[in-house]
Amino acid sequence: MARRGNPSSIINANMTPMIDVTFLLIVFFVVVSQIVDRDAVSMNLPAPSQAVAGIPDNQSRVVVNIVPLEHGDVAGIVVAGHTIAWDSMHELSDIVETRLRGGATEVHLRADRTTKYSYVHQVIEAIRAAGLNPRLQLVIEGEQP
Amino acid sequence: MNLTSMIDVVFLLLIYFMVATEFKTAEESFPMDLPLRDYSQIIQLDSKPLVIFVESAGDKKSDFRVRLDGPWDSVSSIEELVLFLRSNKAGRFGASGLFTETHPILIRPTKETRWGHTIAAYNAVVRAKYVNITLDEPS
Repeated sequence: MARRGNPSSIINANMTPMIDVTFLLIVFFVVVSQIVDRDAVSMNLPAPSQAVAGIPDNQSRVVVNIVPLEHGDVAGIVVAGHTIAWDSMHELSDIVETRLRGGATEVHLRADRTTKYSYVHQVIEAIRAAGLNPRLQLVIEGEQP
Repeated sequence: MNLTSMIDVVFLLLIYFMVATEFKTAEESFPMDLPLRDYSQIIQLDSKPLVIFVESAGDKKSDFRVRLDGPWDSVSSIEELVLFLRSNKAGRFGASGLFTETHPILIRPTKETRWGHTIAAYNAVVRAKYVNITLDEPS
């Protein structure tokens, strides 16, 4: 059926609601997205029941990751973007010391829940050996909302 | 008004943020001080520290046991450990108790103890509101 009226008029879809929704989505993702935390290696952090831990301050920190392997063994250490083999533990002390002298005040220790304590203890002692009495934060998984 | 180019840009931004967004799980932490060991100064502690042994039997969350060093009743679970620590705590208003809030508490896992189990014991002591907690050498 032929349309009546002015033949020069162009039929446009109404774009306004779509643009509204799209902008809302953009604002949502801009707010939610955080700068990707490249310090953190993905692992299963310990999750004790009824945890009473605090929320760590992410400012001025050094993150020390103990990279897990199967059966509680470890592959190495990732600290501030550097990967360190398990044999060269003194490098860990050096890097942590440099970072602490550079203004960091806290050392975040991230270890998998299945990692054996003997490994974690060696890392804690290496951090202690860096001197400067840092505050260690033992990172665990937060409560799921 | 030609909206096409703006919509193009807006969709590009939308796709960028959708791809770049990473929903990570929240993290919490237990603070622990790491004082330098100074063996030249030997100080005498006022009270003997309470030592908590932690042993793992497997990887699962409940596959471990805790044991107290000393003449204490045995504790068979984390809940009993929390109860023991709470009931033996000296209160602020003269309540009788063996340990003050700052009583030194040593958590001594074995070499094979899983980190998750060590943290569970640590959490138990924090839950009982003690503040002087140390992770000891593995036994």
